[in-house]
Amino acid sequence: MGIARTMIGAGLRVLGVAGLATGVMAGAANAADTIKIGVITDKTGNARFYAEPVLQGIMLATKIANANGGVLGKKIELLIEDDSNKPDVSASKAQKLIDAGVVAIISNSSSTATQQAQNTTIKTLIPQVTHNGSDTLTRKLDNKCFFQIGPLGSIQIRTLMAYARSKKLKTASLVTDNSALGQILAKYFKIGLEKSGVKVTVEEVIPAGSKSALPQMQKVRAAKTDAIFVAGVLARENTLFFRAYRQLGLKQPIMGSFNLSIPTFLRTAKGLMEGVTFIDAMDPAKPEAQAFIAAYQKEFGKKPFSLPAYGWDDMNFLIQAIKRAGSTDKAKLCAALQGSTGWAGALGAKGTAYDFSKGRAGFNPQGAVVRVIKNNDHGPVVHSGTK
Amino acid sequence: MSDLLELLVSATASGCVYGLVALAYLLVLRPTGVVNFASGEWAMMGAFAAYVLAGMLEVPTVVAIPGAVLVLAVIGWATEWFTVRPLVERGAGHLAPILALLGMLVIYHQATLLVFGGENYPLDGPFGFNRVELGPFAGTSQSFFIIVMTAVIFVAVWLFFERTVWGKSFEAVAINRRAAALMGINLRLVTALSFAGGAAVAAMAGLLDGPRGSVEVNAALPFAVQGFSALIIGGINRVEGAILGGIILAFAEDLTRRYVPIPSGLALGVTPVLLIAFLLVRPTGLLRAKEAG
Repeated sequence: MGIARTMIGAGLRVLGVAGLATGVMAGAANAADTIKIGVITDKTGNARFYAEPVLQGIMLATKIANANGGVLGKKIELLIEDDSNKPDVSASKAQKLIDAGVVAIISNSSSTATQQAQNTTIKTLIPQVTHNGSDTLTRKLDNKCFFQIGPLGSIQIRTLMAYARSKKLKTASLVTDNSALGQILAKYFKIGLEKSGVKVTVEEVIPAGSKSALPQMQKVRAAKTDAIFVAGVLARENTLFFRAYRQLGLKQPIMGSFNLSIPTFLRTAKGLMEGVTFIDAMDPAKPEAQAFIAAYQKEFGKKPFSLPAYGWDDMNFLIQAIKRAGSTDKAKLCAALQGSTGWAGALGAKGTAYDFSKGRAGFNPQGAVVRVIKNNDHGPVVHSGTK
Repeated sequence: MSDLLELLVSATASGCVYGLVALAYLLVLRPTGVVNFASGEWAMMGAFAAYVLAGMLEVPTVVAIPGAVLVLAVIGWATEWFTVRPLVERGAGHLAPILALLGMLVIYHQATLLVFGGENYPLDGPFGFNRVELGPFAGTSQSFFIIVMTAVIFVAVWLFFERTVWGKSFEAVAINRRAAALMGINLRLVTALSFAGGAAVAAMAGLLDGPRGSVEVNAALPFAVQGFSALIIGGINRVEGAILGGIILAFAEDLTRRYVPIPSGLALGVTPVLLIAFLLVRPTGLLRAKEAG
């Protein structure tokens, strides 16, 4: 039965992807009558964890748009390029897509790769959209046609700190791993906590390749802090953290970064994360999120996590702008993207919408949410916004 | 005090995993003189084999564990057959098999990455992670399972080498290959068995460790580094040295992280510092080779 289930599940997944691909490529036969949109994604590098579910959302949004008649009477044709999360490759892939005649590019890779691709897109002012949350992407270059729709890292941290303040914490332990992102997150967590008047009394690192987190967590237990903040991003090391937390009978609340929204943790640390709160960008109570969830469930037969919603919003953000522009002319499309204020996507807390009137990073600062793990699943929103 | 005792149980389990990888190195190294840095990949692949059997195919654990070990034994055997043997028979230099195995390391790694991707996969332990107390010692059931299984493996390997004619033939090959061949010992078979045994033992390390965190491709490098360090610390010629080195290394790592007042990230330096210290001061490791005869 087990193998049969596995095989059927794998088959359905293949069929699902094949179905999506059919919808996405529907216009390929009449390429002249299609609107080409490029996607630079990571299929083989170390960011593919995040990139693959996001790509699923991009393809789903494209399929649905095409099924509804396309945009401006034309089908959307996706041209997908793999950059392996390498900045130099990302730049050359951007050029390749521009040469192929795309009207816009979605960057679905790391911030460094996205930044490098921007060095190419800025030369032709081809619209580039990303959900990447790095705060510097719209600051390093004055690229009038580059837009960010995901929650910036600073918004995520401020939201988590607002939640921490609501809990009236006085002391906290900070646990991370030795990955570059884990270290950066820990640094910003510490700054944010101290600004919020929370004293970080213990800082522990669980290095990659560790066999146990017991020594570090014994120190955390001894410190008796009000809460534990997890900034680590490595799945294995975070699992060791949760295992040691349970083994030592710790009771302090755990608050984590957006990385805990990756479903991998629900499998590797199954049953260990009950009550853990984490930053997320999707509020299941928001009508636009519910529409996305329904579409995803219809396509794949299962409930989505937030990552595919990033891709869904990437594509729908472009589609609504093309419709409003009434053209795929890049200058008109850039203007329409910049004027997308008030458009609500699947991402963001209930009642929030994108606002590009103040800049090219349009995620509403009050849109990030804190969710809680319930029944080994991403549960309801327990806090939203930075206030 | 209870913290220390609980930590010692956990560290002993970690040391057992290091010791098993060290034993995988040693089983290949003794009769062939080849340092097989792909031992870490074997451990990682053993965990994946167990995941496929137990996690995907839902084979009972009592079948999945020997099944995964058997799969890796066949891979080890095939590695010797297709990679090392042709080089040895063509009279290639001593470095050639080591370089060929480094090539195999890359192939193992990329092939696993191709099949399973960079994802982390859960692997359930046979007894879960319940808290078990044995007198003053407390730990998880998986920690005690690792310790018991490792003890069984080491006793079995020690008895094989010390009490069986087959084991003595391995010893003879380790001491002098040419003389052993002249005595009628089948060098091909001994070498093939050493690779199969090494891969099987490495697989045990991987599948015992997998349930503690998860199964992932990136686990291979830490296995290789920690196992090799344990081998150098304990001594490269004695079965007992592998487990001794593993436990010393794990104790040093965990006790430093817990009690030495330095940032826990700096405790990463324990393994390389110990490795370099032993290479400089006592390159034969703590346990020296037994005198021949």
